[in-house]
Amino acid sequence: MENNKGLKSFLIRMLFNSKMASSGLISNVLRTSLTVLGITIGVASVVSLMGIGEGARIAVVEQFESLGQNVIVLKANSGVYSFQADEYKEIMERVDAIKSATPVTNSKEYVRWRRTRGDIEVLGVNSQYPEIKDHQLQAGNFFTTLHVDTRSPVCVLGYNVAVSLLNGRSPVGYTITIDDLNFTIVGVLKKKGDGKAENIDNKIVVPYTTAMRLNDIRTVDEIWGKALDEKDTSLAIVQLSRIYSRKIQGTPVNTTNPDDGGEMPPEEMKIPDMPMPEPPLETPPNDIFTSGEDVITITSLNQLVDEANDANRIMTLLLGGIAAVSLLVGGLGIMNIMLVAVSERTGEIGVRRALGAKKTDLLFQFMLEAFYVSIIGCILGVFVGIWLINIFKSNGFAAVISIEAVRIATVVALTSGLLFGVYPAYMASNLSPVEALRRQ
Amino acid sequence: MSVIVMKDISKEYRIGQIRLNALKNINLEIINGEFISIMGPSGSGKSTLLNVIGCLDKSSSGTYFLDGNSVETMNDNQLSEIRNRFIGFVFQSFNLLGELNALRNVEIPLIYRGIRGKIRREMSEQALEKVGLKERMKHLPSQLSGGQQQRVAIARALVGNPSVILADEPTGALDSTTGNNIMDLFTQLNEDLNMTIVQVTHEESIAAYGKRIIRLIDGEINKIDFNGVLEGKK
Repeated sequence: MENNKGLKSFLIRMLFNSKMASSGLISNVLRTSLTVLGITIGVASVVSLMGIGEGARIAVVEQFESLGQNVIVLKANSGVYSFQADEYKEIMERVDAIKSATPVTNSKEYVRWRRTRGDIEVLGVNSQYPEIKDHQLQAGNFFTTLHVDTRSPVCVLGYNVAVSLLNGRSPVGYTITIDDLNFTIVGVLKKKGDGKAENIDNKIVVPYTTAMRLNDIRTVDEIWGKALDEKDTSLAIVQLSRIYSRKIQGTPVNTTNPDDGGEMPPEEMKIPDMPMPEPPLETPPNDIFTSGEDVITITSLNQLVDEANDANRIMTLLLGGIAAVSLLVGGLGIMNIMLVAVSERTGEIGVRRALGAKKTDLLFQFMLEAFYVSIIGCILGVFVGIWLINIFKSNGFAAVISIEAVRIATVVALTSGLLFGVYPAYMASNLSPVEALRRQ
Repeated sequence: MSVIVMKDISKEYRIGQIRLNALKNINLEIINGEFISIMGPSGSGKSTLLNVIGCLDKSSSGTYFLDGNSVETMNDNQLSEIRNRFIGFVFQSFNLLGELNALRNVEIPLIYRGIRGKIRREMSEQALEKVGLKERMKHLPSQLSGGQQQRVAIARALVGNPSVILADEPTGALDSTTGNNIMDLFTQLNEDLNMTIVQVTHEESIAAYGKRIIRLIDGEINKIDFNGVLEGKK
């Protein structure tokens, strides 16, 4: 019974101290709730602002990812260099990491079906295109290698084109005219969503051979390849840049090496008539792998995704950081109120010291009191933050409930509660009993 | 058996450059079962003496044994335990914790001693019974009169079975009738339970309840009066 060193007696004391801490808070409800409010606002703003930032990040990443993962884009500067139509085969042969590749042409064509007509972007690719860009078919099939080799007048419609051009009828098997040539519709791509995957929903896909003849061009400006995974992608980029820097070095001076397989297009082969509506993703490939002085740009979408991701994450953290300042202010509120509480309860501190309370008892009590405030504020703040995010969401903002934000807010709130609780609690526990009793 | 043995206890305060001798060479021995009143004008050092006896304050020099424990060498934690085990405090303004009922207030010293709930409760009820307030144990301090509050405070001082009860002007906040009732309670505890009691007061009539009256002037024991017969205390 008199064993006061044991764990049990320690727990008995601490239980009492924690009860004293909560009754201390309850004894002044208004003051406590105002302090809690400070933390609540801080946590709610961290959660909601970071949620908005994170929402924006996810939206951008989704957009990029819809362009196809592990896709490598080789883009020639059309005035200086362009790819042979079958150069993609060479790439697949020489770069092991690239498992599939396609030449790409872009043009805008006058498209007609009965009375419906309009200018529509036409994408020329080979039959590996769906695999490279992760496309699935809504109806029919994609065109085959045979179609490509024979320059068949077949086409696959983007989802929106199919819907608007044929008024919802199943389009497979119908014929449309593209630039006054009849094309048979062999398939419709699944919907990707607005602005996703280079807006493929609004395009028509034809074999690149057909497209080249349609536009009377012999070379292409873009080749898209796909590697198996991220590692392979980086590897492939290194290999590609090595291959092309060697090739291009030769271009202006040296016309030897005929066995290299027609990598040097004569100047007249330029294609000035190519309108080149640039897909949104390949915009500024600034510090990304470039080789041969911008003659060719080799870009991996992974890099773009990573960069966008990083930029947005920094943005999110910045928002969170700004919000965390308000948490800090909330923490100062805790400190303020705890100092008041300690000086208010000086007499009580003295009495309890006289009755046998140790310094640790008081330290624990007042720390816990600060901790209670911060934890209650934190829980309420998370709920308010989630509520705010839902409001943002219902108003069309891309906001998400980010676990990271909740974690950061919780950690910051609790540590600031403890941190700002330490000093007042230390003061309370270090009051001399005599002094405390006298000052009551 | 001596509960309190003080030899050459002095206490100095420094206020800036000025040195204030609150206690000068106090020699005091209090044996088990005594009822002692400490008297003196304000500033005579009686509260300081009580604080030193109560281990709330340390002396500047001298030796002090409380129930055989040398107090000077102890650290803060040990002093807390000493206060908890050997001393029961009764204050002028009762100093009950307002948010706890009478029973819970009485339990506090036992809580710091780490005694578990059931035993604690029984001991506290017994202590409240001794001061005649068992039926009001569920009342909050604010629902009790001043005299009742002081009784609860006395129960709180008693409950841990301390070696000595230290009362600092225990009747100072009470009217004279209630004050006398409290003093009767002290006398009863002293006589029936052989409880050692040391009280500080500035009222002669209250001091007269003590069997020995120690008069302090300027931090020194000026005079010791023996009030009534010194019966055979062991």
